[in-house]
Amino acid sequence: MPVEDLADLYENAPCGYISLSPGGRIVKLNRRLADWLGWDAEDIVGKPIHDILSFGGRIAFETHLAPLLRMQGLVNELALDLLQSDGLKLPVIANAAEKRDSEGRHLLTRITLFKAVDRRSYERGLIDARDRAQAAIEAEHETSMLREQFIAVLGHDLRNPLAALAAGVRMLSKREQLSERGQLVIKEMGASITRATALVTNLLDLARGRLGGGLALKRDSSQPLAPVLEQVVSEMRAIAPDRQIVTDLAIAEPVDCDPGRIAQLASNLVANALTHGAPGIPVEVEARIAEGDFLLTVSNGGVPIPPEARAQLFQPFFRGDMRPSQQGLGLGLFIVSEIAKAHRGTIDVTSDEELTRFTFTMPLRDS
Amino acid sequence: MSSVLVRNHVQVTGNGDRTMVFSHGFGCDQSMWHDVARQFESDFRVVLFDHVGAGRSDLAAYDRGKYSTLDGYAADIVEIGHALDLQNAIFVGHSVSAMIGALASIAAPGMFSDLVMVGPSPRYIDDEGYTGGFSRPQVEELLDFLAENHLGWSAAMAPAIMGNPDNPELGARLTNSFCATDPAIAREFARTTFLSDNRDDLSRIAARTLVLQCREDIIAPPTVGEYVHAHIPGSQFMLLDATGHCPNLSAPAEVTAAIRAFV
Repeated sequence: MPVEDLADLYENAPCGYISLSPGGRIVKLNRRLADWLGWDAEDIVGKPIHDILSFGGRIAFETHLAPLLRMQGLVNELALDLLQSDGLKLPVIANAAEKRDSEGRHLLTRITLFKAVDRRSYERGLIDARDRAQAAIEAEHETSMLREQFIAVLGHDLRNPLAALAAGVRMLSKREQLSERGQLVIKEMGASITRATALVTNLLDLARGRLGGGLALKRDSSQPLAPVLEQVVSEMRAIAPDRQIVTDLAIAEPVDCDPGRIAQLASNLVANALTHGAPGIPVEVEARIAEGDFLLTVSNGGVPIPPEARAQLFQPFFRGDMRPSQQGLGLGLFIVSEIAKAHRGTIDVTSDEELTRFTFTMPLRDS
Repeated sequence: MSSVLVRNHVQVTGNGDRTMVFSHGFGCDQSMWHDVARQFESDFRVVLFDHVGAGRSDLAAYDRGKYSTLDGYAADIVEIGHALDLQNAIFVGHSVSAMIGALASIAAPGMFSDLVMVGPSPRYIDDEGYTGGFSRPQVEELLDFLAENHLGWSAAMAPAIMGNPDNPELGARLTNSFCATDPAIAREFARTTFLSDNRDDLSRIAARTLVLQCREDIIAPPTVGEYVHAHIPGSQFMLLDATGHCPNLSAPAEVTAAIRAFV
């Protein structure tokens, strides 16, 4: 077995050794450290440790290393910059320990140093990357807030002209004598206005939800729900006159809901069924009461919803595969799920080659 | 009111007619005053606390705007003083806390009648006709160093402590949060400290003041201590044998004796 030579081990260890007096003067250092610094060891002995520390290192030494050492006797992994004889900085990691006598008096400070050039570069890179990511997140958040506010304002500003158009169309169809062609045009205008209004309503709901307002409900169980749903279906028939929509509404008890919101929910579901359902197969709207719950289902035939779309179906702005002629914001189902949530209800979907069905379930009474 | 005491992890011990408040400086927390503060518990009410961002203070209370000047820290001291009903109390401030205490004493007359400043400096960066000891590039270098050493610093600030066989009585005091400082806050505190200029406030100090100066201190050199002494009306000055910036840790007996002689 080879024998270790302690003196040689000290001088030529792979790390730097340095010992300081309690006053911070260099008492001894090993050859390794002297070589790193570009000095002869004898030339530095007696000098203050500050002479071989960068400015930041000196402050770190006086305000962190020394106080911690006094209190704990031991400090690990302090990062320092040494000052080489040519003025360049050498990043190191330091462990330090105090040697004390039997009465606890401070005799020496012993510091072991490891070069940390690569480690420091890596850490610096991590810090830079983290700072950049942080800045990007903050910028993104700000942009997102502005966008939401813009949407809210836009939606709001669009409502008035749309309301005026709707009123005008109503007045014309009721009070004015129109030619057959004129009546047709008015009917289509009404349908378009309904669609546009629904879009704007969805926009506003989205913005309100995202900006933290949440979906407000005005519950009213006194209003019968069947006529409300019939109205929705007749509006949809006006929009898509060559499609078949079949209803089966059996609502024998009062439903403690916001009728306007339920209308919006139904409208979005039916619009969705019309958009994605096969044209030849009727859309079915069914409402019934079962076991203390109100159930509303909207079904269509055609290509089933692909499994990968299922997970995102109720996310805002999700549009799935759409034909170019079908424009939309992808908000309809998101609003549906928000309305369901607000009523403490659920919205479920099943979809296969035969049938795609959305089922809205809510408790009859808000308990 | 008690929320202030929680925010700054205020610890009250001792017994006496008068109260001594010990305030730590940049780089550590109230534990650096333990050895000295303990010596006054038999005849003074002793108050130790952590500045927001240090030790076990409430980090959530840190507000960049408020603490961008020393006045923010001084306001906290006044709040603590009100919470503890302090009148004619003694404020012992280390390093930048010396000026923070001075500002508090000016803002709340009567709260602190005596000031002990350990290693004070009213301004660190050299100016026309004034030697603070630092150049602006040096301070920038320091702030860069603190930024780069986040990861290393926090490892040092929360070390895993093993028992110290040479000094078993230290074992009981050692916890993982010893001298802990949130690295991001430490950097801001350094910026606030080293860019501060409170030279004009010195002459407004009405409290009876003692300046304790270490023989060799690269952060608050003797010329700065003498400047402080010269500009505070009626102040006393004592040059300690101790060296380095933290004599309360490296020479607690000398610091204790000096404070006792003053109070």
